[in-house]
Amino acid sequence: MTFQTYEARILEVKELTSREKLFTLRFVDPELNRSFKYKPGQFVIVDIRGFGEFPISLCSTPTREGYFQLCVRRVGRMTKYMHKLKEGDVVGIRGPYGNGFPMEKMEGSTLVLVAGGLGMAPLRSVLWYALDTGKYEEIYLFYGTKAYEDILFRDEIIHLLKHGEDMNCHVKLAYEVETPSCIYLEKGYSPRVCKGVVTDLFRGETFDVENTYALICGPPVMYKYVIKELLDRKLSPGRIYMTLERRMRCGVGKCGHCIVGTSTSIKYVCKDGPVFTYWDALSTRGLI
Amino acid sequence: MRYVKLPQENFEEFFNSLKKWGKVYAPVKKGNIYSFQHVEKPSEIAFDYTRTMLPPKKFFVRPKDEMLRLKGGRWEESNGVEPIVLFGVHSCDIHGLEILDKVYLAEPVDPYYKKRRENSIIIGMSCMPDEYCFCKSLGTDFAMHGFDLFLHELPDGWLVRVGSVKGHEIAWENEELFEELTEEDMKNFREFEEKRANSFKKHLNKEGLEDMLDLAYNSPVWKKYEKICLGCGNCNMVCPTCRCYEVCDLWMNAYEAVRVRRYDSCFMESHGLVAGGHNFRPTRLDRFRHRYYCKSYFDPSAGFNCIGCGRCDEFCPAKIEHVKVLDEVREGLQ
Repeated sequence: MTFQTYEARILEVKELTSREKLFTLRFVDPELNRSFKYKPGQFVIVDIRGFGEFPISLCSTPTREGYFQLCVRRVGRMTKYMHKLKEGDVVGIRGPYGNGFPMEKMEGSTLVLVAGGLGMAPLRSVLWYALDTGKYEEIYLFYGTKAYEDILFRDEIIHLLKHGEDMNCHVKLAYEVETPSCIYLEKGYSPRVCKGVVTDLFRGETFDVENTYALICGPPVMYKYVIKELLDRKLSPGRIYMTLERRMRCGVGKCGHCIVGTSTSIKYVCKDGPVFTYWDALSTRGLI
Repeated sequence: MRYVKLPQENFEEFFNSLKKWGKVYAPVKKGNIYSFQHVEKPSEIAFDYTRTMLPPKKFFVRPKDEMLRLKGGRWEESNGVEPIVLFGVHSCDIHGLEILDKVYLAEPVDPYYKKRRENSIIIGMSCMPDEYCFCKSLGTDFAMHGFDLFLHELPDGWLVRVGSVKGHEIAWENEELFEELTEEDMKNFREFEEKRANSFKKHLNKEGLEDMLDLAYNSPVWKKYEKICLGCGNCNMVCPTCRCYEVCDLWMNAYEAVRVRRYDSCFMESHGLVAGGHNFRPTRLDRFRHRYYCKSYFDPSAGFNCIGCGRCDEFCPAKIEHVKVLDEVREGLQ
């Protein structure tokens, strides 16, 4: 059934920041739990029965089976309900929807992940996938965050700052608000941790343009500036992947809310995306 | 295609025979407007109607529609589809339904729409254009498929085109009511079509429209109309191809809730709003332009998303004319 959701139980709720919680879920039906396959960059629709639905990207990796995770920021009515849920509670899930990142196509290449704020959530799926499979040459993570307290998956990020190099994973962090914790972090990992915005992390970086893919997710304002940095380094528009946000109501290309583009090219973000290349953005107006 | 003739004196009997296929809905005059309503006898039907306010999509994608019902913590499908016969659908509206089919029947299939489409019989009826119609420019003035029977007006009855197996079955069961076509009937049919083709007052220049519009993204014409448009979304409601919908859950009592979907409009500020208050179409200019882009999108498999029915013009409280806006945008580029 297209719009039927399936029961999933919350295994764990973890407070990531004051606004974001990480929900670990598993389908009640064990068969469904086994058959649930997804790709990094895909999303699901969460159904809080009797209150409504909302789309959210998966932030866990398909390489770790048996559960999936959602990072939910409390920002509106539905996410407020979600934040009230506890371990053992049941929600409805349908999906996965969308195209996801072309992980297989990018095998053997270097990945440059550029995350801004909540954009870390879908890219965490890519990051873990890449680390778990080991099929990628090198992984760069440029992460721009407001303050130390807003760093999503802080333990994991700090772990990678410490030990990432052993796994060919290079993490760089930019923060905007100076707090003692940030300064402490900066002291330990300078120049990989610095005060500034995410584009500052590109300073001094060059890429092997033949063998690099960039994957971006962040607030709408970020795309323009990050893409400029990438284009300045001669990365082809076809090698720049971005995952976008729109008001996805149905998730299957019917309800029309996520339509972007003009008379020559119209795309549904939910089914043609949410992952697009920069080339798509050049040929489809209104995408970014 | 199979062609037969239904003499006028047999019409009532034919009409009554339709009732066994489902509840019959036909255009009825209500005040100054027409609307598809349940009819019991032919005298209720407005045979010379121009256009109904709500297109036939209201039977398949309802203005407000219950999808699921929450009982004991579980969703149950809201069931019940009644077989219907839609009588007197104009050819443009048949094209409109085909555009909806393309979206709703594409994988994954919308189960509600599909069920209703399968339980409906579409009987087309010929018409004469008024000052708002521009279906001829879009090639939707004649339907070759998408109907079960199509009735063309003749001086002494109807020329009937049989367009589907179901239509064939209806004709078959009423075999005694139909006659073979004569040369005279063919002549009358041709004359009617010729007269009709010459009656169009409005013409949309479709040539290179989609490229032209794409180039005109910053046209001052959009800004001019942004000020005239009231942003009421009427054009979306009456459009046979507009299909945006919103979903919400409503509690019936402490134990039962329903999931309802209802028409949404891209003219509403909330249409492009996402969590956190970011709006991807924040101004009326963005929304006005978006509608024209959506309607003028050329899909190689289905053509334009507009069928030229003229509803958006007739029911626009600001008297904005679809063709005029597009013509002005084109002129602005030259």
